[in-house]
Amino acid sequence: MIMHTPIMMTTLISLTLPIFATLTNPCKKRSYPDYVKTTVMYAFITSLPSTTLFILSNQETTIWSWHWMTTQTLDLTLSFKLDYFSMMFIPIALFVTWSIMEFSLWYMNSDPNINQFFKYLLIFLTAMLTLVTANNLFQFFIGWEGVGIMSFLLISWWHARTDANTAAIQAILYNRIGDIGLILAMTWFLLHYNSWDLQQMLALNSNSSSLPLVGLLLAAAGKSAQFGLHPWLPSAMEGPTPVSALLHSSTMVIAGVFLLIRFHPLMETNTTIQNLTLCLGATTTLFTAICALTQNDIKKIVAFSTSSQLGLMMVTIGINQPYLAFLHICTHAFFKAMLFMCSGSIIHNLNNEQDIRKMGGLLKTMPLTSTSMIIGNLALTGMPFLTGFYSKDLIIEATNTSYTNAWALFITLIATSLTSAYSTRTILLTLTGPPRFPALTYINENNPALLNPIKRLTMGSMITGFLITSNIPPTSPPLPMMPFYLKLSALCATALGFLTALDLTLMTNKLKMKNPSQVFKFSNMLGYFPTTIHRTIPYQSLLMSQNLALLLLDSTWLEKSMPKTISQAHITTSMTVTTQKGMIKLYSLSFLIPLTLALFLMM
Amino acid sequence: MTLTYMNIMLAFTISLLGMLTYRSHLVASLLCLEGMMMSLFIMATLIASNTHFPLVNIMSIILLVFAACETAVGLALLISISNTYGLDYVHNLNLLQC
Repeated sequence: MIMHTPIMMTTLISLTLPIFATLTNPCKKRSYPDYVKTTVMYAFITSLPSTTLFILSNQETTIWSWHWMTTQTLDLTLSFKLDYFSMMFIPIALFVTWSIMEFSLWYMNSDPNINQFFKYLLIFLTAMLTLVTANNLFQFFIGWEGVGIMSFLLISWWHARTDANTAAIQAILYNRIGDIGLILAMTWFLLHYNSWDLQQMLALNSNSSSLPLVGLLLAAAGKSAQFGLHPWLPSAMEGPTPVSALLHSSTMVIAGVFLLIRFHPLMETNTTIQNLTLCLGATTTLFTAICALTQNDIKKIVAFSTSSQLGLMMVTIGINQPYLAFLHICTHAFFKAMLFMCSGSIIHNLNNEQDIRKMGGLLKTMPLTSTSMIIGNLALTGMPFLTGFYSKDLIIEATNTSYTNAWALFITLIATSLTSAYSTRTILLTLTGPPRFPALTYINENNPALLNPIKRLTMGSMITGFLITSNIPPTSPPLPMMPFYLKLSALCATALGFLTALDLTLMTNKLKMKNPSQVFKFSNMLGYFPTTIHRTIPYQSLLMSQNLALLLLDSTWLEKSMPKTISQAHITTSMTVTTQKGMIKLYSLSFLIPLTLALFLMM
Repeated sequence: MTLTYMNIMLAFTISLLGMLTYRSHLVASLLCLEGMMMSLFIMATLIASNTHFPLVNIMSIILLVFAACETAVGLALLISISNTYGLDYVHNLNLLQC
């Protein structure tokens, strides 16, 4: 008998135990964060045999379904779908969350509300797993909103800081715009297919209309920070580094891409939507890669890197390769979470310094962090046979041999070279060179709570790609043969970006910095997108309403339209036509002229 | 035109000149204004005496009354200027608020 379903049920239920532990009041012999961390670790360990059994048994999917309630036309069930996507994602999510929780034992050590922090992380994980295992759109929506709310609570963790509150509200607003699309799709499916079950929706592809898929694309754009709805992701770096590592790199932001992957049978036949997804993803990846080139905050660079990789996943969906996109989700989680944890280690050790212009010389003082950072960046750029290579190189090969929009594919290649360019810049400025931080900074990375998760994720970044690709069932047909230069194009683009960045940095680090050019300002100000959308539009509305309410009646109609206009017109005209200069004393001396005339005439 | 009237009119002209071309003190202009009034008064009285028409004397008395009122107003202005600016230099006269 195949045992993977009860084992998985153990995994998922055991995750909810620490949440209920906070509601009762058990004896607190050991610390709560430690308890949560070990719970997640045991959940990961129990999910591994489950996934292995699932793959080896060659099943398609298992569905747990409990009937919940019936409205007049709709049956709502609590149904969990354990298919290839969920079973592969759950161990990876649990592994990354375990490492991040161990990391945040070190990072948030001095925080008085650390228990609440771990509870929030756990609730987030539960919502994410609900989203991933959902079989109907209602449960999916519950998970979707759950991760949105936990993102809000965790971004504004340091809620006394104005920027954190602004960033949290921004995240909620942009996600809400995406939710409109999701609700549109749900309504369309309810009206036309009379069900929210994935099986029924994917089987009944009767009236192929683009409207629900446009709604799903909008939802994915909102949650996965595609171009147009992207500013919330760099602003979300106001939250603590474990939050950035968990939510905004590995798990929450891929929910939009995951939604599109779940609906791939509907998207296979609709080429309009595929083109839209492709162009949106390509624009996103190029734009965010350009923005990442000139940022000075290390967390924002990694955030833009995440956004660029999300655009790459969208591109993959756009060329009708959902399984490759899912593979990229799985591999991307490892090295991105590790990059965030290395950034957190650097930030904490340099006494909360986040500006890369004030770091440097950390290769010798923080060897493990810098090693992991370099390995993570290499995996990100697609170094052959590290993790990123197995997904990213396959994606680039697939784009090069597909029969779609050549412009989108071209800018994806440019974004690949820009990826290695900003990764090189980050490494060169943070790790090499003379130290640019104050001299009496106490740098110490000897805490096992910091080192063990980084070591685990480093090993993951190196071998997971190979492990996953050699053990998954074959999903889409392997790519046909392609010319030699196309096969090497990703590698060449990456090498080009690396060499250019290296050359520029080594050549210019002793020159005087000249005034920034227009392109630099475009890149540094994030394309002026937040400036115009966030500030200009509300400012113009407020200015117009102030003028209408206050100035229009009192000042304009009562004062300026009649009296002041008349006086101003007179003054202007008289000043224009006059030839006098106002020398009154001289002019009044003209009285003398008739007087002297009178005197002389009377003589 | 007899010499007397020309003399009076010369006095009037010189006072007028003095009033219109004052340089630094406002009180100089006021004094010349008084001079003008005085010469006009003398001329009115002389005309009344030379033409043997005593009823014209009223012109000189009314002229004197109005000259006195005008002197009073002019002195009041001078005193107020002197109160606000300390002196009656005309360069002082400005409406600056600071």
